[in-house]
Amino acid sequence: MIQLTHVSKLYGRVIGVNDMHCRLPAGPYGLIGPNGSGKTTLINLLTGQLRPTMGQVRVFGTDPAKHRGVLRRIGLCPATDVLYPNVTAKDWVRFLVRLHGFSVQDAHSRSETALERVGLKDSMDRPMGDYSLGMRQRAKLAQAIAHDPELLILDEPYNGLDPLGRYEMTELLKAWTAQGRSLLFAGHVLHEIESITRSFLLIHGGRLLASGTADEIDSIVAETPQEVELIGPDVGRLVSRLAEHPSVSRLNLRVDTHSLKIGVKDPASLFGRLTTWIADDGLRIDQFNTADGDLSAMFAALLRRHRGELS
Amino acid sequence: MNPVDTAKIPGGVSRFLSAGTMLDVVRFELTRSMTASRIAIWCVLVLFPVMIIGLLRVQITVEQIDPWGLATYFLIPEVLCLLGLLLWATPAVSTELEGQTWIHLAMRPGGRTTVLLGKYVTAVAWTFSAAVVSLTVCTILIGNAAGVSFWLVLAGLALLSCVAHGALYVLIGVLFYRRTMVAAVIYTLVVEFGLSFVPAVVNRLTINYRLRGLLAEGTDWRGVRSLAEATLGIEPMHHHLIALTLVTTTFLAAAAWRVRAAEFPTQADGGA
Repeated sequence: MIQLTHVSKLYGRVIGVNDMHCRLPAGPYGLIGPNGSGKTTLINLLTGQLRPTMGQVRVFGTDPAKHRGVLRRIGLCPATDVLYPNVTAKDWVRFLVRLHGFSVQDAHSRSETALERVGLKDSMDRPMGDYSLGMRQRAKLAQAIAHDPELLILDEPYNGLDPLGRYEMTELLKAWTAQGRSLLFAGHVLHEIESITRSFLLIHGGRLLASGTADEIDSIVAETPQEVELIGPDVGRLVSRLAEHPSVSRLNLRVDTHSLKIGVKDPASLFGRLTTWIADDGLRIDQFNTADGDLSAMFAALLRRHRGELS
Repeated sequence: MNPVDTAKIPGGVSRFLSAGTMLDVVRFELTRSMTASRIAIWCVLVLFPVMIIGLLRVQITVEQIDPWGLATYFLIPEVLCLLGLLLWATPAVSTELEGQTWIHLAMRPGGRTTVLLGKYVTAVAWTFSAAVVSLTVCTILIGNAAGVSFWLVLAGLALLSCVAHGALYVLIGVLFYRRTMVAAVIYTLVVEFGLSFVPAVVNRLTINYRLRGLLAEGTDWRGVRSLAEATLGIEPMHHHLIALTLVTTTFLAAAAWRVRAAEFPTQADGGA
């Protein structure tokens, strides 16, 4: 479905996507990365809005920047808001379906069906200026699915949705993937994407740091040298034990904040020992922060691994 | 898969966007345009030539049609039409980019070109409607000396002005989408109102030169004739019409090519 061959995208001297190389067969994928990591640049490359500075992008075997006909097979729900205050959702979606080349009648029925599907049946005739952010988000999703694409690309689709809206969106996307359709869901909140797909692409600094299932990513993270932090009144009592452990590369104790930062080469081997020491000595540790809980730390660790700075 | 393989394209889809699709763009744009501020701008455009002609009419009686014709020509096909098109044709792409709605249009296979041409037609229709209403009221104010031929000549020139200048501004809008209005205003002042009055070959490259030449050929107004002889040169009417057709087609084709090939900024990463 998607093939990236050493794709790089430069904006002048700034790099948006850096030597990305992967092949994704049809299916649902989560594209995870912090803001500014290159997710939207990648999406723009996949939809032909940008051309790669180097490398080759193929979607359904076609270069989307050259052969725009392939866009009929892709639906995009971008992160940005819709700003047509005096246009109804029905008119907007119908107009966009018409631009795909469907007949007037077809565009009419497809737009209504899509709006019903996203739960805007009762408000589709209201101007979008009266909509809440969540309703506009649904209208955006409706225009992305109305032409029945094979691949749906969503960029931060939960922006502005309340818990009920998030639940409904999740259910809709689950139904979408259950039909065997492909999905690329870009976001920066792991658990939101995890409820829809178990296949992930981790992107940071324009680089594809890791890809695979959630378990595979977990094992990569577990094997990746990283920094963990312990907070609590007794953290100082762990220093002597930690200093002797072979997988500990550095220690940084701050007495004033009762925090101990530990550089770990092999987290999996240390964590088992750490819990034993805490229990045996009856230490009080209030917080144990790992890269798993802090996405930016996890990305930083993966980036260092990707660069070969950590073995 | 062959890049143009249509086997996977959803059923009922035409591979070629029809005139009907472009009309849908026009309809959609007109619906969007029905806001209080846009209607107010349209009214101001209609009223300012009417106010000027009305004030002149209160003070001066119509003895000869020439000065009134020249004044109306300057006010409507040159000023009103250019102002209207500056407001509606120039920001065709930039407003969508600023509103971050361009991505939705660009995600349709022929969306970029169709939307651009549809917006061009909308800008021409919107501006020409203001020109026609304003011209009609001005003709009534001038009185019997004006007549139907006066209205027809100026309405024709207003239409040609809208069509040719609209294409020019759409091209400027596509080329300079970040500083659209500044680029269009500078071009208008320097080229259309500056160079067009220079009695040299260079003024033949301007749209206003052609429109003024048509005015001179299409009327027997002495003032226009002497202006033509002094700055415009004497060329047959069909030369001007051919030149305007070529200019319009070239500008539109260049704008369509550019909008199709350009990498426009779409959205910030993460929607920020």
